Amino acid sequence: MIRYLALRLLGVAGVLLVICAATFTIFYVFPADPALQACGKSCTPERLAMLHHQMGLDRPLWRQFTDYLTGVLAGRTYGDGPHAVQCHFPCLGFSYQNDTPVWDLMMDRLPTTLSIAAGAALLWLAGGVAAGVLSALRKDTLLDRAMMVGTLTSASLPVYFTAMTLMVLVVQIGGLLPYSSYVPIGSDPVGWAKNLVLPWAALALLYAAMYARLTRASMVETMAEPFIRTARAKGLPERTVVVKHGLRAGLTPVFTVFGMDLGALLGGAVITESVFGLPGLGQLTIDAIDKSDQPVVMGVALLAAFFITFANLVVDLVYALLDPQVRYA
Amino acid sequence: MSALPLTPGRHAAPPPAGRSPWRLAGARLRHDRAALLGLAIVALFVLMALAAPLLTALNGHGPNEFHPEKIDDALAGAPRGSFGGIDAHFWLGAEPGTGRDVFSRMVYGARISLLISLLATAVATTAGTALGLTAGFAGGRTDLLISRVMDLVLSFPQLIFMIALVSVLPEANRTLELVLVMGFFGWPYIGRIVRGQTLSLRNREFVDAARATGMTRRRIVFHEVLPNLMAPVLVYATLTIPVNIGTEAALSFLGIGVRPPTASWGQMMSKAIGWYQVDPAYFVVPGVCLLLTVLAFTLLGDAFRDALDPRGGNR
Amino acid sequence: MKRPPRTRLALPAALPAVLALAAGALSACDSGGSSGSGGRGGSNGGTLTVLYTKDMEHLDPQRNYVMFAMDFGTRLLYRTLTTYAAASGQAGTKVVPDLATDTGRTGDGGLTWTFHLKQGLKYEDGSPVTSQDVKYGVERSFAPDLPEGPGYARTMLAGGDEYHGPYKDPKGLDSIGTPDARTIVFHLRRPSMEWPQIATLPTFAPVPKAKDSGVDFDKRPFSSGPYRIQTYDRGKRLLLVRNPYWSKATDSVRQARPDRIDVQEGLAQATIDQRLIADQGADQRAITLYSVAASSMARILTRPDIKRRFTSELGLCTRFLAMNTAKPPFNDPRVRQAMQYAVDKDAYRTAHGGSGIGAPAGSYLPPTLMNGQTLDVYHAPPKGDPAKAEQLLTAAGKGAGFSINLTTTSTEQGKAEAEAVQQGLARVRVKVRINPVSNSVYYSTIGDVRKEDELVFYGWCADYPSASSFVQPVFDGNNITPKGNTAVSQLDDKVLNTRIETAVKDGRSADWQGVDQALMQASPMIPLIYDKLPLLRGSKVTGAIGHPIWEGEYDFATIGVKS
Repeated sequence: MIRYLALRLLGVAGVLLVICAATFTIFYVFPADPALQACGKSCTPERLAMLHHQMGLDRPLWRQFTDYLTGVLAGRTYGDGPHAVQCHFPCLGFSYQNDTPVWDLMMDRLPTTLSIAAGAALLWLAGGVAAGVLSALRKDTLLDRAMMVGTLTSASLPVYFTAMTLMVLVVQIGGLLPYSSYVPIGSDPVGWAKNLVLPWAALALLYAAMYARLTRASMVETMAEPFIRTARAKGLPERTVVVKHGLRAGLTPVFTVFGMDLGALLGGAVITESVFGLPGLGQLTIDAIDKSDQPVVMGVALLAAFFITFANLVVDLVYALLDPQVRYA
Repeated sequence: MSALPLTPGRHAAPPPAGRSPWRLAGARLRHDRAALLGLAIVALFVLMALAAPLLTALNGHGPNEFHPEKIDDALAGAPRGSFGGIDAHFWLGAEPGTGRDVFSRMVYGARISLLISLLATAVATTAGTALGLTAGFAGGRTDLLISRVMDLVLSFPQLIFMIALVSVLPEANRTLELVLVMGFFGWPYIGRIVRGQTLSLRNREFVDAARATGMTRRRIVFHEVLPNLMAPVLVYATLTIPVNIGTEAALSFLGIGVRPPTASWGQMMSKAIGWYQVDPAYFVVPGVCLLLTVLAFTLLGDAFRDALDPRGGNR
Repeated sequence: MKRPPRTRLALPAALPAVLALAAGALSACDSGGSSGSGGRGGSNGGTLTVLYTKDMEHLDPQRNYVMFAMDFGTRLLYRTLTTYAAASGQAGTKVVPDLATDTGRTGDGGLTWTFHLKQGLKYEDGSPVTSQDVKYGVERSFAPDLPEGPGYARTMLAGGDEYHGPYKDPKGLDSIGTPDARTIVFHLRRPSMEWPQIATLPTFAPVPKAKDSGVDFDKRPFSSGPYRIQTYDRGKRLLLVRNPYWSKATDSVRQARPDRIDVQEGLAQATIDQRLIADQGADQRAITLYSVAASSMARILTRPDIKRRFTSELGLCTRFLAMNTAKPPFNDPRVRQAMQYAVDKDAYRTAHGGSGIGAPAGSYLPPTLMNGQTLDVYHAPPKGDPAKAEQLLTAAGKGAGFSINLTTTSTEQGKAEAEAVQQGLARVRVKVRINPVSNSVYYSTIGDVRKEDELVFYGWCADYPSASSFVQPVFDGNNITPKGNTAVSQLDDKVLNTRIETAVKDGRSADWQGVDQALMQASPMIPLIYDKLPLLRGSKVTGAIGHPIWEGEYDFATIGVKS
């Protein structure tokens, strides 16, 4: 088990390294000289050269890359003399745009994204699984059909369509909720929730529909398994059969997917944040890409990849714990 | 990745290989009303896309033709008239800002949206099948290498990378770029399924038998294994198309779309978002197109899966 | 005087949405909605809410070079040697003393400039503002660590080309003298009568050396203005409260009415517009920091109660379609002249936001720089004159048309503007291929002379109200540089260059209209519109006037809220 874990962690590190290199390549192979942009319109060649030096862009590409990696693993020092700046582990550099450490920028935005993702995930998991189980148990009834048509439609709607519609109906016409802005949960829990209800709803509508479909399929399959028939034959009440035997087996694939979806969402709910104007990681990324703020893009890409790989790891571990048949390979 | 519905089929148990279940499946499909509905919608949109020049000849408005008389310059080009300027000549109204005919743009947009999503699916499917098959059949180091690469690509924060990549690429052929980028991030999903299927087929009796008769490796792959992979590949590909349609729209929404003045549903959607409150009619058109197409392909994919997979056929 | 002071303009890539043009100051009277509650009067106190899409870019005075942020910074957080009168229209272009007792004195025709500081100027901690602090501030703008600010000090001060800022050269720049704590003397490389205007730039805000935190100063500039920063959560919220040591007695410009200024950042413009249209609760005391979305115009202008809260003033800017004269087909002046008739300026303006957002331009210089006078050289109708264009093209041997590329920004609006040009030129068989590039690389893309497309969208705002600061960087062929080029048409005509440089030397007395006319005849660019900035405010905002210097942005010196 320990060996397995170590190997998997090594794998995660490898993935992050490759993603780091890929981001680096994307931005340095294709020309979008950040020094030229910082230099502005009264740019003289001498000044440009000076800025290149200042930003460390005059060094060979591989040196820039190894410097970056060193920074991530051990921290690094920028500049020299009295104006040297110490960037501590995990140093992802400084934003070209506003000289803030990328790590600080991300940690500043993470709570927003975390709040969006966590609330939406709870909603969609509860709603989706409940609907799916109900549908499966009432298979082929009117309820089942209505539910499946509803979820299929809901899953087919683009998230910005849902989001915009919700915003117009609830905020603009209904006046029931304020225009979203992020309020830290610590300072005002009620305000926090009020501001996030719509983003949660928009995301949850999409995902809950998919989860309902997934849960239904998995439950229908499980309930047809021999062990369920055995349980029923033993004379167990239907409730016990469903809850103790059916759900446990039927929901395993749902939780696998859940882990991965949540991991992906933590990297930034790009579209939802952009529609509702919430300052999360997704917005940060879009802005950074728009301004060619490469250190920030690199940082967010790494963080997002970390969440994805980490979620995968957790899912696999939980799987391994639950199911002794899974080999640590 | 919030906008991208979870890639369907990724977790669907692939149907076990059988002896050509195609005819049986065809019969099932003919009685599946949902499948027929999906098929009808898809056919309608494909026809619409193919017949775009004919359809726009009917109303006499090219997709890129400005109609300043349809909009109000003092109001930044809001369409004149109710419901986004719908009238006898502009069946779905006029585009805000330009007065271009929304119907004409919708039918031409169908071409680009369908083209991009179908091609991207084709790229992902071809690459995924080829690599998955290679990995599953060759085993050993090749398998290890390809599997690791698949894991790696799946670990990428895809939307972020798509945006970053497309936004730094020189604007040579945006359609092709979108197809390749979407294809690149899509192939491992199908690659995994194909690899798994191949692994289980590799040691089945009929493959052993073929081997025993001295059939070449090549022949075994193409004549014995590949045909048995077609069912899951078809199901999966069908379910990938709506995801790609959604991705194209999402990328357009985020400002990385086809080169203007080309119309695509994503481009229309992205423009409509800004005008949502003034001209909701303009938002509804691409929205409904996207909804219907995604819905239709999902219905179709589900139906294929049910029809080709007798075990789960009752779900 | 081969390369006189380069008074280039910002068009910072950072300006949201649009090409970042700005400024022009026409008369205030033609702006639809600035009457009513936008007038004088109004009380002190309350909280003004400012809504914005991004963050403030740079608040560090020496790095601040985005029009509205310069307005925000110099009116609220720091004072400069001189500044502009708080007024809209032509009156707003007048330079008045700020930290200094007058607008500067010179005894040698503009080579040496002396300013004396007022008595009783204080920072937010009560310590006095000294001339050494102003000197140190200007020196900071030379540091490569803080590169974003205007380049005037660097190019105009003697010895500026060898000085690299106080971090590398702590002994300072010799051409700035501080004989005593309240006197500062600037020695220029060449005489310039425009120094009092240049001294309005945030470059000339004082920074005490002890408070300089280098790049971190951006997050928490040390205030010499009427407000100080209480909290700044970048990208989310910036909260200003009163600086208790600022004294109205030393300041004839700033009224500093609200008690607090609450900037909410990172909002979608559509949301901002909707909140202001709805005018509920705290939003009644809110303004948008930058241009309302084009798609919101219809909702604003069709309702009189909302239109009353709308302002759209000219800045010192013109938007152009620039032709690359270094490449065929635009190396032929006849083809360029034909284009003046081929372009559909109406369609362009609609895409840009409609008639409320700019006046059609008949020449390059905005009327705000020309005492309100306008010039129309070709008399082409706003929709263009395709027949005339075709005739000219045929005469130039291009009757069969040609294909060209057009660079634009990859925003929805940038694309829409390009489509408008495309359909206009298609009328004379000119095939335009649109090349959208992202905002952040736009200016470096079109400023690369070798890679520049045949057609590019361009725009220029004067940094200060002087025709020379407008014409020279854009039209003087001697200003063409291989990268970061500002003379994007690349027209290098000896006669015109000489004419421009002579006019620059003559300054205000020169015949700028004649220069404009001659340039229009050479036709390196097609003038599209003189820019207005469309702004919306809540019903309880007072003193909201659009200031010509900063694109027509609300003047933060006069703005206040009613209870």
